[in-house]
Amino acid sequence: MHIPDGYLSPSTCAGFYAASVPFWYAALRRLRHALHTRMLPLLSVFSAFSFVIMMFNLPLPGGTTGHAVGMGVSAIVLGPWASILAISIALVIQAVFFGDGGITAIGANCFNMAIAGSLVAYAVYRVAAYRAAIGSTRRVVAAGLAGYLAINTAALLAAVEFGVQPLFFHDAAGSPLYAPYPLAVSIPAMMIGHLTIAGLAELIISAGLVAWLQRTDPGLLERTAPDAAAGPSVRKLWLGLAVLLVLTPLGILAVGGAWGEWSARDFADPQVRRQIAAASANHAPPQRAPSGLQRLSTIWTAPLSGYAPAFIRNAPIGYLVSAAAGTSLILLCGLLLKQLLPDRRRRRKTFIEKTTTTLARALQHAFFAEETANSGGFLQRLDPRVKLVGIGSLIAATVAVHQLWMLAAILALAVVLARLSRITLRNLSTRVWIAVLVFTGAIALPAIFLTPGEAIYRLPVLGWPVTSQGLRSAALLFLRAETTATLSVLLILTTLWPHLLHALRFFRVPVVVVVLLGMTYRYIFLLLETAREISESREARQVGVMQPADRRRLAAATAGVLLSKSLWVSGEVHMAMLARGFRGEVYLLEDLRLRWNDWLPLGALTAIAAAAIWFGR
Amino acid sequence: MTDLAFEVRDVSYRYQQVPALDGLSLEIRRGERVALLGANGSGKSTLLRLLAALHFPDRGDILYFGESLSERRLQDEEFFFRFRRRVGVVFQNPDIQLFNPSVFDEVAFGPLQLRWPRDQIRGRVYETLETMGISRLADRAPHRLSGGEKKRVALASVLVLDPEILLLDEPAAALDPGSQSQITDFLVSWGGGSKTVVTATHDLDTLEDIADRCYVLENGKVAGEGAPLAILHDVPLLERTKLVRPHHHVHDPSAPQPGPHPHLHRRP
Repeated sequence: MHIPDGYLSPSTCAGFYAASVPFWYAALRRLRHALHTRMLPLLSVFSAFSFVIMMFNLPLPGGTTGHAVGMGVSAIVLGPWASILAISIALVIQAVFFGDGGITAIGANCFNMAIAGSLVAYAVYRVAAYRAAIGSTRRVVAAGLAGYLAINTAALLAAVEFGVQPLFFHDAAGSPLYAPYPLAVSIPAMMIGHLTIAGLAELIISAGLVAWLQRTDPGLLERTAPDAAAGPSVRKLWLGLAVLLVLTPLGILAVGGAWGEWSARDFADPQVRRQIAAASANHAPPQRAPSGLQRLSTIWTAPLSGYAPAFIRNAPIGYLVSAAAGTSLILLCGLLLKQLLPDRRRRRKTFIEKTTTTLARALQHAFFAEETANSGGFLQRLDPRVKLVGIGSLIAATVAVHQLWMLAAILALAVVLARLSRITLRNLSTRVWIAVLVFTGAIALPAIFLTPGEAIYRLPVLGWPVTSQGLRSAALLFLRAETTATLSVLLILTTLWPHLLHALRFFRVPVVVVVLLGMTYRYIFLLLETAREISESREARQVGVMQPADRRRLAAATAGVLLSKSLWVSGEVHMAMLARGFRGEVYLLEDLRLRWNDWLPLGALTAIAAAAIWFGR
Repeated sequence: MTDLAFEVRDVSYRYQQVPALDGLSLEIRRGERVALLGANGSGKSTLLRLLAALHFPDRGDILYFGESLSERRLQDEEFFFRFRRRVGVVFQNPDIQLFNPSVFDEVAFGPLQLRWPRDQIRGRVYETLETMGISRLADRAPHRLSGGEKKRVALASVLVLDPEILLLDEPAAALDPGSQSQITDFLVSWGGGSKTVVTATHDLDTLEDIADRCYVLENGKVAGEGAPLAILHDVPLLERTKLVRPHHHVHDPSAPQPGPHPHLHRRP
């Protein structure tokens, strides 16, 4: 669900940044007064809570585990606007500090999960709970539903973002330059996992935590309850939900052919043209098909062509069959590579053990990052603003270039910078390269067969064609993901978090946002420690095998204990802030001057990035 | 100007429906070092927060140098800054007190909030870190510090403002004996005896070092008051308020037998 760097084109990324900014701005404006009160620590602690809850492995039917994002419960407790900020802040810290989700994709990830997720969760909850009493079961059910629909909306948006990439961004030979699969593959591949695993995890967390709050702190549910003063009317929310449904590409999918995937011939057929126009808010489609579309219309039948029986060569059925084949191939690759993961054990780990391991790994990562940042290599000595701009522009260049050799050159530069900054190749491979290999590998591998084009080799028994376009596309995706991940890990391994925050102020990020980022980061560690203690003590007391229902109850209760602790912390922090003179305004001590010897590396890094974009077009 | 830093008059306060203070009255003179003794739940932490004007009494009144500490009074910006500047609070749990991303930012938070001139703040922060012996921690993140280091940073974050009145909640709790004595020594020498220090504690070992006078609290009321030595010798009071456990032991058999009696163990 966290879209990494390199899967979306630069223009898509920029578009989603632009789409998210008005929501962030509106949220900050709406909360301007609230942020002067207890809301400031509450928001940051909630953001930290959401971060930690993303690391909770929840037991699901069928013996699998999944994790939630926490947008359901945050929209219910904080209201939609504060929830947008809280989840966005958690996502930014994940992307920048833990490399989970790309830096260029922060706009898209925030739009999907923080903005759409919070708004959907809030609207569904208000509509479904209607005027039920605070303590009623109906609210628990409504919360579960809100979480489930919110995470699936976010997943669908991500799937659509992936799915439109090959249509708009491909080279002259037809190799997709970014995410290689069209909507017919990307939507089922994303949704199968989210409608079952991740959706259920979010459902359990939302419902479980609302039930927990009903018993421990019902006052917190009042903000979004019937008599909340400034809440919009339920009728308006119904209307909002209806609009969302219409906007949802799923709805459009049901109307006609997949939105944006009309066949080249459709552009000539007057009736289809009317349908397209209706589905795209009355914008008339171009007279001629976009050139790429012509080539891509064969994508479905690529691996099967020539072997498929006649009825599959029939366009609509062939479309469905190859979409299904593509989806299952991706899922299969994912499962296979997961089996190859290094920490495979003979005994299956319980969900509690998994959670403990994840939490410990996050703490260990932070520890390692701080050690390296203090070790005094080449990048460590640079001003954080120089690094932010310099490495940021290299990441942007990596996403923008279309030549494999240029990607390899940037990766080589990143490795050289890493060596100069006392980061060993061994560390890079264990921390970055293997993880990207597994994740992006699972996604890139099937593209070799699924992308239509010239077959340069056929698999012996299956007869699947390996196309040159597919190879190039998979190689682009893979190299891009490795390079951006290496660069972003360089940034965080050589920069102390407080310095990075000060650098943000230089770029006119509002003080309150910088303070929220700082407090959230601080409390992530407190909550990680607390969560680990809770998990470990559960582990220690765990005897025998638990029933599935008990496991889920235990997981929800653990999250509940953590939530109560988080809320207590936020109240206490507010006291501590008041005691030292907090009156609603926050200030930072900033020194915005750049030393002259900072300009040289800044100029060098940005010049390299610009040259890379120019020569790597 | 009155010589009473705080005058607590018949104050009651309920904390989440549970009575925490129940008609409590006491006085703290300027320049005095006072210990608030009491078992867990006796109300000493709550009282400290009321003195710090973080909570306000449900009933009764608290006077700060003769002025009533009410929610309304604190709304006044001029009074708010004057009060926060002069009254520092160190919370029991340093994880609560340290909410900034680095030690430097933590110590700079108070001066920034009180809108000191910016060019002074940097120097003053380094000076304070130096005094507390934690200059090398300036860039560290609070979550990476040891318990003793966290406590020092928490103290530094308050002392940077050079308050006249310091309110301490269990300053030595959960510290190893070495760190405990360092903190105690620091507090003993701090301000050369001209500062008002109110310490909530249940640690009797350091009582004489940190206080000139003690109040013993029980169920939200004052159960006893006096000089540290007098309180330490009032064994029935200490037993009743659960500050010591009743405890028998046998003396050297060759010495005259005094018979079983309640005892306090004091360190030499």
